[in-house]
Amino acid sequence: MAEDTTADATRRLNVKKQTLDDAYAAPANFLEIDVVNPVTTMGVGKKRYTDYEVRMRTNLPVFKVKESSVRRRYSDFEWLRNELERDSKIVVPPLPGKALKRQLPFRGDDGIFEDEFIEDRRKGLEGFINKIAGHPLAQNERCLHMFLQEPTIDRNYVPGKIRNT
Amino acid sequence: MSIVIFKNKLVNIFDIYHIYRSQAEMTNQASPVEEQEKLLEEALNVVKVQAFQMKRCLDKSKLMDALKHASTMLGELRTSLLSPKSYYELYMAITDELRHLELYLLEEFQKGRKVADLYELVQYAGNIVPRLYLLITVGLVYIKTNTNLRRDLLKDLVEMCRGVQHPLRGLFLRNYLLQCTRNILPDTTEAPNENEGTVRDAIDFVLMNFAEMNKLWVRMQHQGHSRDKERRERERSELRILVGTNLVRLSQLESVGVEDYRRLVLPGILEQVVSCRDAIAQEYLMECIIQVFPDEFHLANLQPFLKSCAELQPGVNIKNIIIALIERLAAYSQRNEGNVNLSVVLEDGKEQEVQLFEVFSDQVAAITQSRTDMPSEDMLSLQLALLKLAQRCHPDKLSYVDRVLAHTDRICADIQQTSGKDHIEHNTAVFKELMKILKLPADHYKNILTLIKLQNYAPLIKRLNQPGRLMIAVHLVNDVLESDTTVSVPEDVDAVLSMVDVLVKDQSDQVEESITEDFVEEQGLMARLIHHFKSESADQQYQILSAARKALQSGGAKRIQHTFPPIVFHAYQLAFTYKELKDQDEMWEKKCQKIFQFCHQTISMLVKAELAELPLRLYLQGALAIGEIGFANHETIAYEYLSQAFSLYEDEISDSKAQLAAITLIIATFEQINCFGAENAEPMRTQCALAASKLLKKPDQSRAVALCAHLFWKGAKDGKQWPLNEASRALDCLKKAARVAQQCMDGGIQAQLLAELLGRYVLLRERGNDALTTNLIQAIIQKIREELANLDQSEEVEQVTKHFHNTLQHLQSRLDCPDPDSLGYEGLQLA
Repeated sequence: MAEDTTADATRRLNVKKQTLDDAYAAPANFLEIDVVNPVTTMGVGKKRYTDYEVRMRTNLPVFKVKESSVRRRYSDFEWLRNELERDSKIVVPPLPGKALKRQLPFRGDDGIFEDEFIEDRRKGLEGFINKIAGHPLAQNERCLHMFLQEPTIDRNYVPGKIRNT
Repeated sequence: MSIVIFKNKLVNIFDIYHIYRSQAEMTNQASPVEEQEKLLEEALNVVKVQAFQMKRCLDKSKLMDALKHASTMLGELRTSLLSPKSYYELYMAITDELRHLELYLLEEFQKGRKVADLYELVQYAGNIVPRLYLLITVGLVYIKTNTNLRRDLLKDLVEMCRGVQHPLRGLFLRNYLLQCTRNILPDTTEAPNENEGTVRDAIDFVLMNFAEMNKLWVRMQHQGHSRDKERRERERSELRILVGTNLVRLSQLESVGVEDYRRLVLPGILEQVVSCRDAIAQEYLMECIIQVFPDEFHLANLQPFLKSCAELQPGVNIKNIIIALIERLAAYSQRNEGNVNLSVVLEDGKEQEVQLFEVFSDQVAAITQSRTDMPSEDMLSLQLALLKLAQRCHPDKLSYVDRVLAHTDRICADIQQTSGKDHIEHNTAVFKELMKILKLPADHYKNILTLIKLQNYAPLIKRLNQPGRLMIAVHLVNDVLESDTTVSVPEDVDAVLSMVDVLVKDQSDQVEESITEDFVEEQGLMARLIHHFKSESADQQYQILSAARKALQSGGAKRIQHTFPPIVFHAYQLAFTYKELKDQDEMWEKKCQKIFQFCHQTISMLVKAELAELPLRLYLQGALAIGEIGFANHETIAYEYLSQAFSLYEDEISDSKAQLAAITLIIATFEQINCFGAENAEPMRTQCALAASKLLKKPDQSRAVALCAHLFWKGAKDGKQWPLNEASRALDCLKKAARVAQQCMDGGIQAQLLAELLGRYVLLRERGNDALTTNLIQAIIQKIREELANLDQSEEVEQVTKHFHNTLQHLQSRLDCPDPDSLGYEGLQLA
C-alpha cells in the first residue's frame, strides 16, 4: 500500500539531461554598468557642470560593442529618460532628484558640487541606468544604445528599435 | 526591492529575474558585519520560535501543524541576504531542529503508525526550499523503515534537488541530502532485492549530487559585480568542503574496488572536474581526489589522472597537484619497500609492468610540453618532485636521477634562450628551484663521488650565474668536509675540482674583484678540501697531487696562496711515506727527488705570483723534510731549498719585523739540519751572519746576531760533536750582539737584550762551548745588574728583572749540583 503511494509520489516528468557545456557555461546575459569618476568642469562662459564616466561590460548579443566607456552628465540621463518615456512601453523608473534647492544662490556650501551630493547622485544614476539597461524591452531602444555606446549623443537622431541577434 | 513597472502591469523585478536572469539584480547585498549579525539573529529567533512550536505540536501528535511550523522555519533558508558563513550557521541551527521531526517520524513509523502519503504530502509545501528539505527528511524516514524503497527514493531525492538552482541555497540543500543519506547508501555489490539497490546506485547517487553541487559552486563565480571577484572567490573557497564531501562519501563506500573506481568513480569525477573549466574547482578537487582515495587506487589509475591534469585550466596550479600525488605515492612505495605493482595499458591493450618513476617522468614531460603557459619555476618544481621520487623509491637507479637532471638542463636551456641571458639569474624563482634541485642529490647522497657519476650534475651547475655557482660549490665542499669523504683517484680529483670550478679560478661572468672576508673563507674551505685528496697508494697520491696542482694553478695569486700550501705539505708527507717504504720500493730515492722537484716548482709558482713570506716558509719546511729523510743527493737539494729561502729574504722582504721573523726562521732551520758539509754550510752561515748584522733596528740586529751563534755551535748529537763547530766564532757573534745591545738608547731595552744574551751564553756553554767562560758570564751579569739599578720601576723592567732572576736561579742550581756531562760554572759569583 505504502509502496504504491511512493511509486506514485516519485513519478516524475522526463526531463532532458543537461549537457556538461550547458551546466558549466558562463551566463549568457552578463551586463554590468558602472557610473564612476565624476569630474566637475568649468564650462566656457557658462556655469560649472559635473559629468560621469559610464562604463559598460556585457555579453548580451543585442549590444554591438561588448565593452564601452562614455562620459555623460545629468542632463544626458534626463534626455534618455524622456526618450524612453515617449517611445517604449515601459514605465521608466525615476532619476535621482534635480536638487533645485541646492542650486539657489547665497548658499554656505558648494551646492550641487559638494562631493557628498555628487556621490549620492552617482549612486542614483548607476541604479537608474542598470535598471533600464537590464530591461529586455528597453534593450531594443536605439536611444539606449546611443547613450551607452556612442561618444556623443545626437539629439536629432531617428528613434527606433534595434534588432541585433 | 526595486521595481520596474510595465505600463499595464506591475511586475516584481524578482520574477523578471527568473525569466531573464538579469545580471544586475544578482548582486549579493554586501551587508557589513553588524548588518550580517543582525540579520542572522533575526533569522535564528524565528527558528527558535518555530522550532518550539513544531516540537509542541509533535508532543501533541499534531503532525500537520508541526510540518507547517517546520516549513516556516525552513523558509528562513530562502534568504539571499546572508553571507556564506552566516548562512552556514543558520543552516546548522535549522537542521539541528529538523532532527526532532525525523526522530518523531521514525518512532511513529517503527511503531507501525505510518502516516499515509506523507512523502507526497510534504510536496505541497508552498516554497521549494522548505519543500525539498521536508522531502529529504521524510524520504530518509521511509528508507530507514523500508529498505525496499531505497533505490527509488534516493534517485528521486537527488533529482528533485535540482529544483533549487540558487548556488548558496542549492549547495546547502544538497549538503543536507548528503548528510542525511550518510549511513543508508547501499554498499553491497549484489542486493538481495533489486529495489534495495547496490553500490552502483550509491555511486550514481553521489556522482550526480557531486555534479550538481559542482555546477552550483562554479556558478557562484558568475554571480554579482565583477569588482567583488576577490571576495567571491574567498567565499567560494569557504564553501569548497561542501563539494569535496561528495568525494569523501565515495571513498567511504567499502564495496568500491579498484575496478569500480577505474570504470565508474574516477571517470565520473574527472569528467566534471575537467568540463567545469573553473580553476578554483579544478585545483581543489584534484587535490581532494589525491587525498581521499587509497594509494592502490591511484597507482592503478595514474595515467587517466595525469592525463586529466594536462587538460586543466591555465590558471590551475598543476604543479601542486602532481607534487602531492608524487609525494603520496613515494611514501607508499617506501612503506612497501619499493614493492609496488604498477602496470600500464599499452595501445594494443596489453598490460606492461612499469616503474613508478617511469610513469611520472613520461607524464610530467607530456604535461610540461602541452602546457606552454606553465611558469618555468613550476616546471622545475616538478622536476624536483621527480628527483625526490627517484631518490626515495629507486635508490639503486642513479640513471633516473641523471635523467631528471638532463631534463632540468633542457628546461634551463630554454629559460636562458627566452631570457637572452647566459646564466640563470640570482634570486629569481627559477634560480631558487634550480638550487633546490642541485642541493637535493648533494644532501641525499652526502658523497661527492656519487655526484660526479651523474653526467648531468656538473653541467647543470654551470647554468647558474657566478653567485649561484659559488653557493652550490661551498655547499658541496662543506659536505665533503662534514662527511669526511676521501677522493682517492686522480680522475675524481679532476672531476671534483671542475665541479667547484667557481672556487678554483676567476669566472668570465664574475662581477666583484676585491678580496673579501668571504673569499678568504671560501679558499680556506678549498684548502681543507685538498686534505681530503688521499690515496692509500703512494704512487697514486703523487698523481693526485699533480692533478690537483694542475687544476688549481690557474687560480691566480689570491687563490694559490691558500690552495698550494696543503699540496706542498701533502707532498712532504708523501716523501716521508716513501722513506717508510724504502724496503719495498727500490725507486724510493728517485721518487723523493721527484717529489721535491715537484714541490720546488709549486713553491716557485708562488714566488712568481709575487708572494714572498709564504714560499720562504715552505722552502724552509721542505729543507727540514729533506734533511730528515736523507735520500741520495739530498744535501744539494736541501741547500737549494735553503738558498732559495735566503734569496727570497734578500730580494723580497723589506719590512723590518718580517725580516727579523724570516732570518730567525732561516737560522733556526739551518740549526736543525745536520746534512751539510763545510762546503755548503760555510757560505750559508756567513751570509746569515752578514744579513743579521745588516738589520735596521739595533734591538733586531742584536737579537739576530746573537742567534747566529747557533750557526757556529750546535750541541752534541748521539754523543758526537758537530764537526763544523767553531767555538770562537760563536763567541764573536755573542760579543757583537752585546756590543750592539749597548748601543741602544733605551736602558730598559738594553737590559732586556742583555738578559736574553745571558740566557744564550748559558745555553751554548751548557752545549759544550768552552769559549764562553764563566768570566764572560760574570761580566754580563754585572752589566745587567748595573743597568737594572739605573732603571725606574715599570712593568717592563719588572719583567726583565724576573727573566734575569730566573736565569740566575738556574745558574745557582747548576752551581749547587753540577751536571757531570757538561761544563760547569766554577768560580761564578752570583751573590
